[in-house]
Amino acid sequence: MTVAPMPASSPEASHYRTSARRRTSIVVRRLALYTGLTAGGLAMMIPFLWMVQTSLKTRSEVFASAPFSFPTGLHWENYTNMWNALPGVTFGTFFQNSLFIATMATIGQLITCSMAAYAFAVLKFRGKSILFALILATLIIPFQVVLVPNFILYRYLPWPYSDSGNWIGTNLPLWVWAFFGGAFGTFLIRQFFLTIPSDLADAARVDGANPWQIFVRIYVPLATPVLATLAIFQFMWSWNDLLDPLIYLRDLPSYTTTVGLAFFQGQYIGNWPAMMAGALVSLLPMIILFLLAQRYFVRGITISGLKG
Amino acid sequence: MSIFSLARTGSVLRRARGGASASALERTGRHRGPRDGEWRWALLFLAPTLIGLAVLSAGPIIATLGLSLTSWDMLEPPTFVGIDNYTNLLGDARFLTALRNTFFYTAVSVPLGLILALGLAMAVNQRIRGISWIRTMYFLPLVTSSTAIAIVWLWMYSPTGLFNNLGSVFGMSPQRWIANPTLALPSIIVMSTWQGLPANVIIFLAGLQGIPSEYYDAVSVDGAGRFARFRYVTVPLLTPSIFFTGILALIGAFQVFDQIYVMANPGKPGGATITLVYFIYETGFRNFHMGLASAASWILFLIVAVFTIIYFRTQNRWVHYQ
Repeated sequence: MTVAPMPASSPEASHYRTSARRRTSIVVRRLALYTGLTAGGLAMMIPFLWMVQTSLKTRSEVFASAPFSFPTGLHWENYTNMWNALPGVTFGTFFQNSLFIATMATIGQLITCSMAAYAFAVLKFRGKSILFALILATLIIPFQVVLVPNFILYRYLPWPYSDSGNWIGTNLPLWVWAFFGGAFGTFLIRQFFLTIPSDLADAARVDGANPWQIFVRIYVPLATPVLATLAIFQFMWSWNDLLDPLIYLRDLPSYTTTVGLAFFQGQYIGNWPAMMAGALVSLLPMIILFLLAQRYFVRGITISGLKG
Repeated sequence: MSIFSLARTGSVLRRARGGASASALERTGRHRGPRDGEWRWALLFLAPTLIGLAVLSAGPIIATLGLSLTSWDMLEPPTFVGIDNYTNLLGDARFLTALRNTFFYTAVSVPLGLILALGLAMAVNQRIRGISWIRTMYFLPLVTSSTAIAIVWLWMYSPTGLFNNLGSVFGMSPQRWIANPTLALPSIIVMSTWQGLPANVIIFLAGLQGIPSEYYDAVSVDGAGRFARFRYVTVPLLTPSIFFTGILALIGAFQVFDQIYVMANPGKPGGATITLVYFIYETGFRNFHMGLASAASWILFLIVAVFTIIYFRTQNRWVHYQ
């Protein structure tokens, strides 16, 4: 807000009048700004509002009423109907599956990406920059390119507890990979490790600490914010992923929330209230996480352009 | 072994001089000694990453190329067919539809997403009280799954849904947004643009906040108006952010799948909206033509690689780093 200098020649009275008018115009502009931005924000949220209000209506209301009319009553039964709609399972099962897969993938990425990041940021070895460039290059490779060979790989990995006798039909292909590094996480944490002054590590080294001890006792504790950022993003990606669970999961009780929801949508075509209830329930954990940890999301995207 | 040693001095110098000259100093070997053999530690720290790189990404890329030259239904052993899969794909109407749709989707959604995101970023780039709450409203789609969002939009687009409801207020006749082959893909693009906005806005917002206010002051003194400030300060200084967002949007657009799966499943209306990744999924994991799916994967890989390289080549012409 740059304020233009007042003309020096203006008499005192007029000076006051003008600045009072200016103050009013600033207030008006502020008000317009708030109104405009809030209206835009609400427009952006229309799909969410539409989802919520449909999820509380009856089916006949949905087809009869005008847009954004309030439901006649709060029909919470849409939620219980949706929750128990599929035979033999509830959405709770899908939630458990998603939670397990997302948690394991997050743990795997946190451990192995921070290890790799430490090597790239702190250790010195031959071929470091070439290897780092190679890992960054995998960022631009569409992962669908490796879909078929990975599927074949998992088909050859034995697993006695599955019907197939291998990893297909289990959730293993959905999270074990995370224990083998990742370009995004490595890059993100490396950038942070580079900002840690080496004096700390030097002091520890003088006291006889080896690189592993320096990593675990100095670098990892200092990197908590960036680790939280990676954790949040990996959890979100795993939670929202559709293609991989679709390929690897075979029976209903093993489905994740996304595959369960897509399956449910195929089974209940036209039952919009139940479907909106399902969509809302599946989105809720991530929305809550976002509201609690918005700055970590923003930071993660700003640093590395991570996105969903 | 001294080449591998990390001289403490080297590391300090690297930080001081910006990284370029430190390695030369180490190579003189003046600082050989206690930290010899750090490559063993590096190997330990990198072991999971190296295995993952070899077994889960680099190896499979080569394997996909090999498989794309075979015919394989996963029951019989694969048979070598040369480039037949590629020639068959180029004569396959469904593949060509997928290819055309993917290009259309990318060509429309990338510029549209960037322009809208830039406008929105400038709108929410305000230093006013409560701005973070306002931004939250705009950022919310960031964390949503495309699956759930596609279902919500499917309902908004349905014959009795929100769009036709609103349209009727303005005297517009109801449309079959998704069932109409002409409208289906544009409708999906609108949805994806909405969902993709927050990430782009966040990057642009960071870029806008990185522009020193002196630049604006300087051109204001020269009498520049609102548009001139946008044209000659904001846009040039934002080109690195635009470049960065552009590459992410480009790569993402070529890989679109979730919303296509939900909205086009099973390939309705008449396959009007299928994309390359949907084609790969369908060919490989529904019909088990692994060779054909691999060939389609490689075509996708080549397209993304070529476009990425071209995009990077144009960088010098329009991206201004401060």
